[in-house]
Amino acid sequence: MSGLATNLRVVRALGMRSIRQTFRRPQLMAPIVVFPTILLAIQTGGAGGAVNLPGFPPVQSFLQFMLAGAMMQSLMLAGNSGGIALAVDIEMGFTDRLFAAPISRYTIVLGRLAGTAALGLLSALWFLAIGLVFGAEIESGVPGALLAIALVTATAMAVGGLGAAIALRSGSASVVQGLFPLVLVVLFLSSAFFPVDLMIEPARTIAEYNPLSFVVEGVREPIISGIDASDTAAALLAIAGIVVLGLILSARALRHRLRVG
Amino acid sequence: MEATVAIPAWRANLATIGALMSRAKNELLRVPGAAIPGVLAPTIFFLGLNGVFGALTQLQGFETGTYESFIVPISMLQGAGFTGAAAGVNLARDIEQGWLDRLLVSPAPRWVLLAGTVLSASARSLIPASFVLAIALVLGAGWPGIDGLLVTYLMVAAMAAVAACWGSMLALHFKSQSAAPLMQAGMMALILTTTAYAPLALLQGWLQDIARINPVTQVVEAARQGFVGEVTWAETWPGVIALAGLLAVLGALALREMRRTAA
Amino acid sequence: MTAAIAVEGLERSFDDVLAVQGIDLEVGEGEIYGFLGPNGAGKTTTVRMLTTLLLPTGGRATVAGHDVVGAARSVRASIGVALQEAALDPLMTGRELIRLQATLQGLPGAEGKRRADDLLERVDLVAAADRRVGTYSGGMQRRLDLAAALVHEPRVLFLDEPTTGLDPVSRKTIWEEVRALNDEGTTVFLTTQYLEEADQLADNVGIIDSGRIVAEGTPASLKADLGHPHIRLQLEEGSIAEAEEICARIGSLLPPVDGKTVLVEVEKGAADIPRVVRALDEAGIAVGSLELVHPTLDDVFVAKTGYHLEQEGEESDGDEEAVRA
Repeated sequence: MSGLATNLRVVRALGMRSIRQTFRRPQLMAPIVVFPTILLAIQTGGAGGAVNLPGFPPVQSFLQFMLAGAMMQSLMLAGNSGGIALAVDIEMGFTDRLFAAPISRYTIVLGRLAGTAALGLLSALWFLAIGLVFGAEIESGVPGALLAIALVTATAMAVGGLGAAIALRSGSASVVQGLFPLVLVVLFLSSAFFPVDLMIEPARTIAEYNPLSFVVEGVREPIISGIDASDTAAALLAIAGIVVLGLILSARALRHRLRVG
Repeated sequence: MEATVAIPAWRANLATIGALMSRAKNELLRVPGAAIPGVLAPTIFFLGLNGVFGALTQLQGFETGTYESFIVPISMLQGAGFTGAAAGVNLARDIEQGWLDRLLVSPAPRWVLLAGTVLSASARSLIPASFVLAIALVLGAGWPGIDGLLVTYLMVAAMAAVAACWGSMLALHFKSQSAAPLMQAGMMALILTTTAYAPLALLQGWLQDIARINPVTQVVEAARQGFVGEVTWAETWPGVIALAGLLAVLGALALREMRRTAA
Repeated sequence: MTAAIAVEGLERSFDDVLAVQGIDLEVGEGEIYGFLGPNGAGKTTTVRMLTTLLLPTGGRATVAGHDVVGAARSVRASIGVALQEAALDPLMTGRELIRLQATLQGLPGAEGKRRADDLLERVDLVAAADRRVGTYSGGMQRRLDLAAALVHEPRVLFLDEPTTGLDPVSRKTIWEEVRALNDEGTTVFLTTQYLEEADQLADNVGIIDSGRIVAEGTPASLKADLGHPHIRLQLEEGSIAEAEEICARIGSLLPPVDGKTVLVEVEKGAADIPRVVRALDEAGIAVGSLELVHPTLDDVFVAKTGYHLEQEGEESDGDEEAVRA
């Protein structure tokens, strides 16, 4: 087992590769940002009247409310696509070479996450920009924007870790791909697209306990009102929870893969 | 040495369309689990939309008490869009694998080949539509009545045909399955930039403008009738005209691409 | 009698690449025409133009008396086609495929059923007829493809590399079938990269290289044109280069197939053998083996193009040609 310095170098190298791969083929990247943008436009236009509902949180506009949800959608897609990329690496045998090298197994996952993080960062910036262009201000200004960006990037990596775990366990890109509808379901059953209090049962109860809801609130609050310590803490806790889950699943998947070969 | 047995052209064309539709059903019947994505996607959207945006019915201007009734026709149409786009993806795969060459080298007219793809998509779209409808009815959507049901199914089948023309056009143009996201996204955008989420009056600015001119809005309104009220001819014929127009345009474009495969 | 296939100045370009550069050929009724050439020569492109899958960018062609551009539908009704990539659906059964083909050709249902039964028996696929095509071996798929191409008893049959990638037994089976079809009067246009195939099957051979026909004629006449046999030498001892130099003084050297063999064309055939052996002996070069070889299509190919179609003991893989419609 090699030193920290070597592992860091490897993570950096794999990270650069992962980022290069992501941006080399824009047509694969586009759906991750374009689909949620289209959906954002449609949902804002279609359900925008919701701001008049009693109980709707005070916002400048429905768009302002929805930005967080759009970012979440993007980052879920990014995590899914990172998992697919890792699964392709496994299918092609690239990871076998890495496994055979005297480096920590986790460098493989961490390196892959760099690409996912880059995508998360990009989508956060993109939607904040869209908000600004279409008149949705960020209420808490630059600090709020930075907080939102940081949370989105961190969540992207956390979700990417889950995607990586699934990739390691299944070794198949089409399995990871097939889980995408599930990703959508989990997102629907959160506060991503609507205030939880106004949702209909049983979706409402599920959304109340969905860790993604806490993340969404953590990203949304700085945009629609101000930075709230407890919301931010809850979001970080939820992200940590996802990261831990991802680590546990990845560790087990790695052990399984090395046993099975 | 040419075949001495001959049947009238119209019968041969009909038989060919039937045979191509028969082949298309293999996809569902002989590949385990193939039907699932097509059924799952609109169902998830239905359940998700309903759970998330259901409170919109509290707003003034909504014509119905339950959001289920309002959006179930949308989910059914979405299923049709998905099925039609999938037919386009299958055609792209057939092109990549050389199967289309077999059809193109035969004396069958090009429109017959296209009709096989389009009509089988129409027929297939009834499956996810029925599934979503069943779930919606269980969850409390109002029964649309036989007339409402027939109109809705007609709109769904025709929408699937429109989507299949769109998908086929892209498949024949790009000759590759990588055009699949464009096939899906195009139909999604077409169906959702209408009165999908809310009545026209409640739509915001730009979406209201688009929904006003989008022909699919007429299709949505026609398909929705039975679920939110009475079925009348006045509400139905604009949807029929819209679908006829879309079929004419996209069908012509798809046929043109089919004819240009030799270029 | 009109030619079954008549081609005049046929051309096809893709962007800047001229894949087929103005070819002329004629195939008579009841003939087997072999189109011989390496991968990328333009064989498949030509077949696709003659079967109306691709529009020519220059020249004209008629098949069974119909123009491939102006009367494409009539062409399609008269031809049977088995392409290089067998256009089969893995989910269908063999029988279903032939019956679908019958429907595409406008045959009534009962007739299609009857012909399917007959054809399946003819190509020996009765046992597998109701199994999915995805379970068939390569040879079975080709036989099925051939059977489907025959369902409407076409006047002209196009076979694009019908035996590429097949084992020798399957290859022989296809050859027998092609001969049988031809005996019944079907004109056959086949493309191939195998010299033996062209030699064995074709009445007329057209050699195509880089989009042009470089030689045409019956296998016998093409070989006779060359006239001269060649000597094939392998040395036991001594330098190849020196041996080549010596042989070059007696006859004309042919391009080598590998680094161990010397090939020299000799006018007088067997009579030149002693001269060669003596000359080499005097130079202290010991001959390991020596053979007198009469002209083959490979020699014709080499004479016309400057290189061998097949390396000794190797056969080309059935790689797809770079140009595909």
